[in-house]
Amino acid sequence: MKWLFWVAVTGWAAETVSFERSVLPILIARCVACHPSGNGAGDVSLASFADLRELVVAGKPEESLLLRVVSGPLARMPKTGGPLKAAEIESIRGWIAAGAKNDSRGPGWWSLRPLTPGKHTSIDSYLLGKLREKGLGFSVEADRRTLIRRLSFDLTGLPPTPAEIAAFVGDAMPDAYERLVDRLLASPRYGERWARHWLDLVHYGDSHGYDKDKPRANSWPYRDAVVRALNEDLPYGEFVRRQLAGDVLYPGDARAFELTGFLAAGPWDFVGHQELREGTTDKNLTRVLDRDDMVATAVSTFSSMTAHCARCHDHKFDPIPQEDYYRLQAVFAGVDRADRPYDEDPAIGSRRRELLASKLALQKRMQPLLDRVEFATTPEIVVLDDRIQDAGSLLAHLGAPKDAAQQAEKQMLEARRLTDRAARQKLVDVVVGPETYLSIDQLKASMKLLDDQLAGLPAPRFVYSGASFFARVGNFRPALDPRVVRLLDRGNVNAPGKEVVPGALRAVPGLKSEFDNGDEGARRVALARWITDDNNVLTWRSIVNRVWQYHFGVGIVDSPSDFGRMGSQPTHPELLDWLAVWFRDEAKGSLKQLHRLMVMSQAYRQVSRHNEAAAKADTDNRLLWRMNRTRLDAEAVRDASLAVAGKLDLKMGGPGVRMFGFKDDHSPVYDYTKFDPDSEGGYRRSIYRFIVRSVPDPFMERLDCPDPSVLTPKRSTTLTAIQALAMWNNPFMLRMASHMAERVGSDVSLAGRLVLGRELDAAELALYREYAAKHGMANLSRLLLNTNEFLFVD
Amino acid sequence: MLRRELLGGFGGMALAQMLAAETHHAPKAKRVIQIFLSGAASQCDSFDYKPLLISKAGEKWDPGEKVELFQSNPGVVMPSPWNWKQYGQSGKWVSDLFPRTAECVDDIAFVHSMMTKSNVHGPATFMQNTGFILPGFPSAGAWLSYGLGSLNQNLPVFVVMPDPRGMPPNGAANWSGGFLPAAHQATTVKIGSAHPIQDLEMPVGGYVTEASEKDGLALLDRVNRRHLDGRGGDSRLEARIASYEMAARLQLSAPEVLGIEGESEATRKLYGMDQPLTADLGRRCLVARRLVERGVRFVQIWSGADNGFPRRNWDSHENLKKDHGMLAHELDQPMAALLKDLKGRGLLDDTIVYWTTEFGRMPCSQGSLGRDHNPLGFTSWFAGGGFKGGTSFGATDEWSYKAVDKPIYCYDVHATMLHLLGIDHTRLAYRNNGIDRRLTDVHGTVLRELMA
Repeated sequence: MKWLFWVAVTGWAAETVSFERSVLPILIARCVACHPSGNGAGDVSLASFADLRELVVAGKPEESLLLRVVSGPLARMPKTGGPLKAAEIESIRGWIAAGAKNDSRGPGWWSLRPLTPGKHTSIDSYLLGKLREKGLGFSVEADRRTLIRRLSFDLTGLPPTPAEIAAFVGDAMPDAYERLVDRLLASPRYGERWARHWLDLVHYGDSHGYDKDKPRANSWPYRDAVVRALNEDLPYGEFVRRQLAGDVLYPGDARAFELTGFLAAGPWDFVGHQELREGTTDKNLTRVLDRDDMVATAVSTFSSMTAHCARCHDHKFDPIPQEDYYRLQAVFAGVDRADRPYDEDPAIGSRRRELLASKLALQKRMQPLLDRVEFATTPEIVVLDDRIQDAGSLLAHLGAPKDAAQQAEKQMLEARRLTDRAARQKLVDVVVGPETYLSIDQLKASMKLLDDQLAGLPAPRFVYSGASFFARVGNFRPALDPRVVRLLDRGNVNAPGKEVVPGALRAVPGLKSEFDNGDEGARRVALARWITDDNNVLTWRSIVNRVWQYHFGVGIVDSPSDFGRMGSQPTHPELLDWLAVWFRDEAKGSLKQLHRLMVMSQAYRQVSRHNEAAAKADTDNRLLWRMNRTRLDAEAVRDASLAVAGKLDLKMGGPGVRMFGFKDDHSPVYDYTKFDPDSEGGYRRSIYRFIVRSVPDPFMERLDCPDPSVLTPKRSTTLTAIQALAMWNNPFMLRMASHMAERVGSDVSLAGRLVLGRELDAAELALYREYAAKHGMANLSRLLLNTNEFLFVD
Repeated sequence: MLRRELLGGFGGMALAQMLAAETHHAPKAKRVIQIFLSGAASQCDSFDYKPLLISKAGEKWDPGEKVELFQSNPGVVMPSPWNWKQYGQSGKWVSDLFPRTAECVDDIAFVHSMMTKSNVHGPATFMQNTGFILPGFPSAGAWLSYGLGSLNQNLPVFVVMPDPRGMPPNGAANWSGGFLPAAHQATTVKIGSAHPIQDLEMPVGGYVTEASEKDGLALLDRVNRRHLDGRGGDSRLEARIASYEMAARLQLSAPEVLGIEGESEATRKLYGMDQPLTADLGRRCLVARRLVERGVRFVQIWSGADNGFPRRNWDSHENLKKDHGMLAHELDQPMAALLKDLKGRGLLDDTIVYWTTEFGRMPCSQGSLGRDHNPLGFTSWFAGGGFKGGTSFGATDEWSYKAVDKPIYCYDVHATMLHLLGIDHTRLAYRNNGIDRRLTDVHGTVLRELMA
């Protein structure tokens, strides 16, 4: 048990100098990283309070080793980051003088403590316990219409049809609600809905982002694999392991392979990787930042910790030394983002893997020889390089010749370049020598044999994923073996320090956080096993909290990707732990069972109505005395509009639908005004949209669809004039209103049932009929699609 | 108190949009017009005068250390193809690339010691806009919207006018709201397009009529208010009702501000709207003036699109004279007109005009006629809003290669700009993924020397 996170959630001891409040933060920030349990630096461990007490003589600061090493002009500690501040030293001195007592209340920072469920065995009893302390209780259960609308949007992202509502409202059986839950969870729409949440977390996109934002042809198999995994209720541990290392753990399993698209889900700097020359500062920086994205995505998503804060220095608030961050970089040091082939047929897949392994072995032998040629240089070669490059850029600049003079210039430049290239080759040949070429030719011949065999296999499928071996494009070349990762002083690529081995966060108790310095795949497997270990307390807390947030609107911890000291504290720690243990042990990681548990609760079924007295006691409804009202998110608005218009196309999967005009260019042009909502694919669910990073769809963006380059654990909800204009005037909304009008004819009641899920009352009917009579059904449909009642659940 | 502290919770965003927040201290400036030269405009051909480039023209360039370039190896010392002259009381040297802007040097504070952290357009363009070389961070305009709110509830807070030739590198992600709430996103105004603001106007040619629009909005308001019954205590529902009222006001005010029919012939001429090459930027600069006049906080004007061929931005690797020449010609007169017009109307006193680019260009040649990237030294400049005109801050070495005197990154520029706008840059923060993020990251010093 590590004392270093012994910070109580509430209340402080009333001593002059509190260990917990004044001393512990200093130790965490400046000392513990180098002094873990076991073999800390200088054989000094700071892994427990008992360890610390060995360095301290209670009541006698000057005799205490701890104070001696950190104070005075010759302070030996800390080794990095400069001496402690005078006030910090005084705190330590004061604490020792006062008897060096441990006033901490808890057995660790909450998120790193062992899972300790409370005595209750249901969500409602945990919640009621806290509510009663404030003299509160649950609100009444919502009516059937409200419940089915809430559940349908929540579990499937779509509104219930009028027939479904009628059936549920009329279902007199006591288990009507339960059967509804099961029906919705069994629907393929469930996976589509919840995969969207997951894609927010991992910042999935269908283009690279940055400059020259090129489309990714093969990112979608990952998106589809997430949908499928959720629909098939793949246990969460498996879901995590396959995303990090499905290719290594289940070599023959195409679905597991597709899930590794996780590794490459984020943005990628095309220019940095493909155009920059090997060995330059910016090339190195590009690679560091690319891995940084992988680390941040993996640790934020699975562990709800902010390891990426430790790139330039030890984490300022959480026990994450800089070395842990670079150890995580080392886990991904062998992979780049690239298309990887895979096969449906395990036999063919197996054959392909053998051939690729042989190719990799050959490539490793050949690469040093190729590098000898590529990097051969003399002053004369450099001169020719410049001339060749110059000709290339002048030719590009010239473009298609417009007249005879330009034509002549073009021919001159091309001829010059040809001559220069030949001359260059001769010079290179001299430097390299014939033996090298001979070896290369032999290896290439062997490579060709392998390539011929590969070409003989049926065409593979591709997923954009993490790859250690792929065909080189420009200056984007595979690592082949994991690249060396060094600790970078202040994150500066020009200040590399010691080499680090792969590993994870040492702060998580009970797990080995240092991995073997093994091959690329083994590193990812080690991280996957570390994350999904039954004893990794972060993993299980993280996922149950996320699911809770999507159901209830706010997480038990309201910083779902930050369980550190800068994050929020759980409102119901015992409930969170009970859920985590129940999910891990009882539900065996079944997300569907977890959903079921949550939506079956009384808490979930309450009305969302305001209550002045309860609001006084708990303004933000953190104790859940009512259900939270939610605004539909961008995808739900679009999908629900399609649904009520009678146009929703439920075709699943496949390449992203390009809902924009596309013109490939140096930087491709993505123009959303050029897409007719009625064209091919325009009625597909929003999860199948082709998601462009540089130019997000303005309609979706205005409804708070997040920037696809940001890791988004929780969307913001805004209500703006520009959003109102999008709802009111966007061609998609206008067209859906028009289709809805065709669908309902003159039946205003039906329009109400479709959009609002209920019967209109007499007054409404009169108003709407009058309006429709005057301005037509399309205008009425447009109006209904703009109502608050449509946009909000409840 | 900033609006972040003022509001809290997720309600009331529409209302929040309407409020101009209090500042940390008394502001000198209220608004910003940023002119972004996409592709990397050359400092040593515009405002960073180095006689050595003329005297050593054509000689081998040796700055005394290994030089790492983006595409090429260092060529020979290349003087600017433009002549240099001194201007104004301050005697500032400016090249013939910007002869009209040169007339305004006494109103301009030049920063010659800019550096950036990437030599690649995408990351570097992100950095100048958001303070980070990674995607996903909010741009300065979004930060201002978040920190200061609106001065005019009928117009957006943050307006971007891209080059009609296309998007710069990174596209609209340059003016992203990042992780800030979507209310702080930029509104893109496509000047010259039939529909400058997407979804703004009442649709024509379909089933919507003036009467259906009027009756429909009234009825929508009525049913939304009826829907409030029994749903008290949730400000979002009312905020959404208000958002339609604001939308209606935006529909009225936007065409007015974008329309320049009311501007005099002399004004249009001043901006170069009578000449084909300057007409577009003339119009965009004039609209910028009209926007800030009416209280828009941050207007961003882009000169230049992406780095493709034929060259349509400042990335002059191949033929500097031709490509810089054309782009500067388009920009110089409108930009100078904007400065003069703002000054004439007394608007320059509390409006910052901020001229920048993602990095500079090398003093040596690339090939025979171009220049490669230079992240180690480039120029930005400021006018108005509390900046001290007629001054030059920092310097590059004798070659215009490296910032040597007071080298700075965009952090200091952003910190200074925020300071003049009444904001302490260390306190304008938003928690994202575990970190209180700022426009200035963990850096930034207010450059008092630059302030009047």
